[in-house]
Amino acid sequence: MVKGLSNLISKEIKELLRDPKILLGMVLMPLITFPLMGAAMNISTSTLEESTRNVSVMIMNLDKGPLAESLLLILQSMNATIIETGSSTVEDALVDLSQNNTTTLVVIPQGFSQNLTLGLRAKIIVYSVFESLSLAEGIRSSAVEVPINLYKNALVTQAIRQAFPDRDPLAVLDPISISNVAVVKGKIVNVSSDILRSLFMSQSLGFPLVIMLLLISAMQIAATSISIEKEEKTLETLLTVPISRLGILTGKLAGSVVVAAAGAIASMVGVNYYINSFNEMIPTQNISLEDLGLSMTPLSYGLLGVMIFVTIVSALALAIIVAAFSENVRSAQALVGPLNFIFIFPSLILMFADIQMLPYPIQIVLYAIPYTHSIIATKAAFLGDYFTMLVSIAYVSAFTIAVLYIAARIFTTEKIVTARISFKKLKIRKP
Amino acid sequence: MNNVVVETKNLVKTFGDIKALNGLSFTVTQGEIFGLIGPNGAGKTTTLRILATLIKPSSGYAKIFGYDVEKNPSEVRRIISYLPEEAGAYKNLSGFEYFEFMANFYHQSPQEGRAAVEEAAKISGLGERLKDRVKTYSKGMNRRLLLARALMMKPKLAILDEPTSGLDVVHAFHVRRIIQEYTKTHGVTVLLSSHNMLEVEFLCNQVALVNEGKVISQGSPHELKSHYSVNNLEDVFMEATKLG
Repeated sequence: MVKGLSNLISKEIKELLRDPKILLGMVLMPLITFPLMGAAMNISTSTLEESTRNVSVMIMNLDKGPLAESLLLILQSMNATIIETGSSTVEDALVDLSQNNTTTLVVIPQGFSQNLTLGLRAKIIVYSVFESLSLAEGIRSSAVEVPINLYKNALVTQAIRQAFPDRDPLAVLDPISISNVAVVKGKIVNVSSDILRSLFMSQSLGFPLVIMLLLISAMQIAATSISIEKEEKTLETLLTVPISRLGILTGKLAGSVVVAAAGAIASMVGVNYYINSFNEMIPTQNISLEDLGLSMTPLSYGLLGVMIFVTIVSALALAIIVAAFSENVRSAQALVGPLNFIFIFPSLILMFADIQMLPYPIQIVLYAIPYTHSIIATKAAFLGDYFTMLVSIAYVSAFTIAVLYIAARIFTTEKIVTARISFKKLKIRKP
Repeated sequence: MNNVVVETKNLVKTFGDIKALNGLSFTVTQGEIFGLIGPNGAGKTTTLRILATLIKPSSGYAKIFGYDVEKNPSEVRRIISYLPEEAGAYKNLSGFEYFEFMANFYHQSPQEGRAAVEEAAKISGLGERLKDRVKTYSKGMNRRLLLARALMMKPKLAILDEPTSGLDVVHAFHVRRIIQEYTKTHGVTVLLSSHNMLEVEFLCNQVALVNEGKVISQGSPHELKSHYSVNNLEDVFMEATKLG
């Protein structure tokens, strides 16, 4: 039995890894795609940073007063190229703007200095040209607001000082200071919750994505492995050799698990690069999950390993059940495709939301889907929440046993040879 | 009847509303090349699949060397080998790797396994091409590979479903010669099905004519021709089924 099983597993691995479609799709694609995605993200971020760094602003100073001149000085102090236009109308200035390849026009109307001196409200008009509707354009257009706000604050501070010479202008302007302190697992972390949110986001995006990809790939492998055998009639031969049907099922599952694990490692390596690309964009003040006490303990790793293993086995068994009813590889993949929904649905929802914050009906649906628990368990692993992990493992294991039982029943009966789903008649037919 | 290899009695097999076998009975004795002949849908493949333990009869029984195929499938699988019609091999393995993989199910020691692979290589006659992956083989080469696989472990009974189906003259000739030589040399009993009446006449010692799930006539090709007073098995078949 053991010899027969190792023989089957070794054949499965050879066959699957020599299949260019599986090698490319399972191992090479994640290794190439994710780093490429990360690189693309870095390139676009650098481009964005570059474009905001080299902002050029055109000024139409119709005021010419002292306060307009001091505003110009502040604008020049920012990292921007300032071009003054001699145009007297906005229409002419916009033409000038286009000729100078500039997208922001700041108009300081006549009376700007006089109004401010008299204690009246002055006005500045900022025209932003949008052509490509890109993120960079949006950032460029708002870049000029920073120095203008600085100038406004300086004016307000000056006015407060004149009105209340004994008081701190900041205490008048902003009498209550709010300080955000995050408490993670009982530990005080002196970082803003915005930064922590960015850090958690990068982590919570990655894990559901990896699990989703892993399960989809594993199912495709298992379904392909069975349907190729059916298409080529090698399964008929295999079922007549002296090895038990359960041995054949175990061999198929084990072979697919090994190949899926290779795919998982490739995905992990790729996704790690991808997530790091995110982290490089987010200023995390060198904070890591370890610093926050969110690193995984050996027990967490062990439980997570068990969780991922039972999840993969259940997905493989599910694929084998479906593929048992297929006539060929194409029909197996068509049958397995819709099942991907049960991985994609919880993954996408839990990437952005906490399950307990969702409406009850959606919570019930999500909890009923076994693959939700693999994502919940992954998050629990980081929080050291062993109870949640054990509950998730128990639920997925029960589901896995049920699926394996059905797969074993199919394998030990003649259904594995005779049952076919005919797409033409949409019913199970027998030869 | 100590030398009975295959015994089927009143075999019935239904698939939903379709009755594939309708009381099929025949007996194969040791050392024979026994041919099941009949039109498409006559029940030949269903019979062979029952004997190969792939499917179970709805009623009746089938025994191989006294083992009931339904009650003792594991015993049956140790002594038979089955070649399905138009079967393939694992495309990403080489011919040698395929032989090794199949031999490992039957042989206990590596030496036995190696001997079986060498035997298979000899039977197939594929020479150096056995080092290439199966996906590069022609249909004829593929069939020779599979037949060698079916015979390499010297089964007590080889069940061959349409062994020369779709092959050109050269490959069909080679396959027929392998079957003949191997049964003569190693005393293997062969049960085969075929559409090709001339092939059956040339190869088989015993023939059963199958139509609508029943054996309508059985005997040696010579006996059958004499009984129906015709010159070949094709005419025997047309006379027996009254299809002509």
